[in-house]
Amino acid sequence: MNLDTTYLTELLLNGLMVGLLYALVAAGLALVFGVLHIINFAHGELMMIGGFVMALVLPALGLSYWPSLAVAALATALAGVVLYELFLSRLGPREFERSILVTLGISMVLLYGAQYWFSATPRIVDTQYGFEGLEIGDIRMTWTRVIGGGVAVLAFGGLYATLRWTQFGRAMRAIAQNREAAAMVGIPQHRVARHAVALAAGLCGLAGGALAPIQLVQPAMGQAVIFKAFALVVIGGLGNIPGAVFAAIALGMIESWVGGFFDIVWQETSVFLIMIVAVILRPDGLFQRGGLRVG
Amino acid sequence: MRLALPVALVLLVALPWLTASTYIMGIAVSGVLMTVAAAALNLVYGFAGLLSFAAIGFWGVGAYCAAITVMDWGGSFWSGVALAGLVNGVLALAIGVPMLRTRRHAFVVVSITFALLCALVSRDWTAVTRGPMGIPGLPAPSAFGYVFAGSARFWFVALGFSVLALALLHALGTSRIGLVLKAIKQNEPLAQSQGISPLPYKLLAFVVGAVVTGMAGGVMAFHLGVVDPLIFDFYYMQTFLIIVIIGGAGSFWGVLAAGLAMVVLPEALRASNDLRMVIYGGVLVVAMLAMPRGVAGWLEDRRVAVLRAKLR
Amino acid sequence: MSGPVLEVRGLRKSFAGVRAVDGAAFSVRAGSITGLIGPNGSGKSTAVDCISGFQRADAGQVLLDGADLRGLTPQRIARRGLTRTFQDVRVYEGYDLLQNLLVVAQPFVGVGWGGELLRSAGYRRARVAAEARARELIELVGLTRLVEAPAAVLSYGQKKLLAFAGAMMSAPRLVVLDEPVAGVNPTRINEVAEIVRRANAGGTAFLIIEHNVEFITGLCEHVVVLDRGAKLAEGPPHQVHQDPRVLEAYLGVEAVA
Repeated sequence: MNLDTTYLTELLLNGLMVGLLYALVAAGLALVFGVLHIINFAHGELMMIGGFVMALVLPALGLSYWPSLAVAALATALAGVVLYELFLSRLGPREFERSILVTLGISMVLLYGAQYWFSATPRIVDTQYGFEGLEIGDIRMTWTRVIGGGVAVLAFGGLYATLRWTQFGRAMRAIAQNREAAAMVGIPQHRVARHAVALAAGLCGLAGGALAPIQLVQPAMGQAVIFKAFALVVIGGLGNIPGAVFAAIALGMIESWVGGFFDIVWQETSVFLIMIVAVILRPDGLFQRGGLRVG
Repeated sequence: MRLALPVALVLLVALPWLTASTYIMGIAVSGVLMTVAAAALNLVYGFAGLLSFAAIGFWGVGAYCAAITVMDWGGSFWSGVALAGLVNGVLALAIGVPMLRTRRHAFVVVSITFALLCALVSRDWTAVTRGPMGIPGLPAPSAFGYVFAGSARFWFVALGFSVLALALLHALGTSRIGLVLKAIKQNEPLAQSQGISPLPYKLLAFVVGAVVTGMAGGVMAFHLGVVDPLIFDFYYMQTFLIIVIIGGAGSFWGVLAAGLAMVVLPEALRASNDLRMVIYGGVLVVAMLAMPRGVAGWLEDRRVAVLRAKLR
Repeated sequence: MSGPVLEVRGLRKSFAGVRAVDGAAFSVRAGSITGLIGPNGSGKSTAVDCISGFQRADAGQVLLDGADLRGLTPQRIARRGLTRTFQDVRVYEGYDLLQNLLVVAQPFVGVGWGGELLRSAGYRRARVAAEARARELIELVGLTRLVEAPAAVLSYGQKKLLAFAGAMMSAPRLVVLDEPVAGVNPTRINEVAEIVRRANAGGTAFLIIEHNVEFITGLCEHVVVLDRGAKLAEGPPHQVHQDPRVLEAYLGVEAVA
């Protein structure tokens, strides 16, 4: 077993970057659950859309990273609006099982549709940064990872500020806390819900876009993440955004640490075992349950 | 109507003589086995109201149990399938008790994580499962010196198992247990106020569902001739769910009809696998939005509307 | 006659610091029809939920025939002989009337799942007896012509009658009726009273929560008044209705002014 500090730090940082991007997906899922009381199974496919937009737009824009990422986020947010207007707006807050089945159907259409159009073959996505990286002493990380983590941190800052200080953020929190009361004071529920889905989808698109150069882009990339995100949202406490974010970062680190120390094969298994035990022991989440919490 | 069932059964038994195509027989075998798994899911979701994604886990665990029994322990196909049922029953009992104590949101999540955990274990526990390569070369089952080799002969094994499993599920659904299960699903506090304990009933449905699903998975393994982690592909789960939703959750015959239709129709249309799943997904969305209780539920609603009009 | 079938002592229940039931104490004489009245928010529904096991009381005792019901689940309490109806009328909408009543556990106690699955002799006997009892009750509530109709086609008042039959199915010692005539067509209220009276003649005691004064006065021999979670007064109905404290609780400031 190799315990030198460089290796440990690299593991830690890699885990942190991946965890931060999981956390973007989980935060969006928590947001949608808080406002609409829906677990959106198609959420992972929104991330996949972000990844594919990134993969298709990058060559067209001469491999420049930032404009492509913006396009990916915006296109996915737009897809979120379409998703809301066509389907989610028709579901009531108490129809939990029904919402799962509807969004599962949407996820199937998107996932297998992407496989039909683009084939299941993974794509390597190249950017202006290539495989260049940042080196501090012996520790080396590719720029795409560093930027991915940075983008996630910025996005969380923006999400926090939006929920905390904007009119729209307050409206979302009000609906999450008490739907009836929010309706009585005249908060336009449908508009707020649509914005919430768009925002959550945008975060997904950002995560998908940022992950594209780090991992491979393929139709099933969303399905691999969504189940984890789903569990994270419950572990964090339904609708509790910091809880979900914290759980996601922890998951990313546990994965990389376990992967580093133990046989690589038991990495994911151990994580899922921890999840099952966590959910069974604390069905309301490790953190306090309640409305949409921002801090 | 009374003749429909015997006629259908005779036609199914005679299927190998009606077609010479091994391709069609292969579809027929996986079709009946997936219909059995869907009917088991119907007991869990349609009767007990538990949206459980654990079914795909039980399906795969059953497949591995049956395969390992034959390949590593020298058992027969029959004992392998029986063991698949036993192992799944114990497994379902062990995870079912804590799962059913959680809220319904957590129940769904735990069922999903359980299914994924099964897939990961099958990939990672190489000493037992042989990892991603799987266990190939499963032999055809035999009884009294007769070898059920090839889809046309294996068909009788699959059909025999399916008829027995469906008969069990039908007996359960039409018994008082089925009546109480659906009562709990309709209004749990009312059932409690009438002296019914919901937990044992839900657990029964969950465990029986797991046993039947696992045994169907065990038979499926020998149809495929190989077990690998792909047996846990979410595609199977999606298919089971579609069959239950389209047929109408809680309707035994509806689910049976939907199972046969969903397996046969896309094959008849010669759609690619991806396109078929796109169609399934679209059907699921439209069905859940337009008729959330399936075809059977939709017909029932029409009946109630007519009756109500008559009584006014 | 005999002692109380139900005795409630010092019942307390708070929600987030608000005391819904605050030391309520009263009893129901065996075989009697007792009314439980009080203004909105006086804690009647919470008291019923605590008595029937749907909520866990913070303190106090609930005795059924002298046996403490504390900590028992609703289903255990129902099997001991205390059943209830719900304010938001509850029936199994997808079942016909007969099926609605055959769900009730009591007639099938001791049959077991194996017997139910294989339709054993014991099961068939229980089933015949249960069906006979169900038809009797459906006739009692006057729904015989609808016996094979799905409950979804029933009117609101008819659903309340079906729920009543469901609560009677296990031949309980005591039935708690939560607003049996609220929202029921006024011309039918006397019918409901007559049905309760006939069921009572069979020995079952009733505890009735209801706002309809005429209904309570005509039916109950004894009335308990709750206000702010505690007993305010009790006695025969006409006497209770003249009690100035009761008038004040119902009419509030106006009566004082």
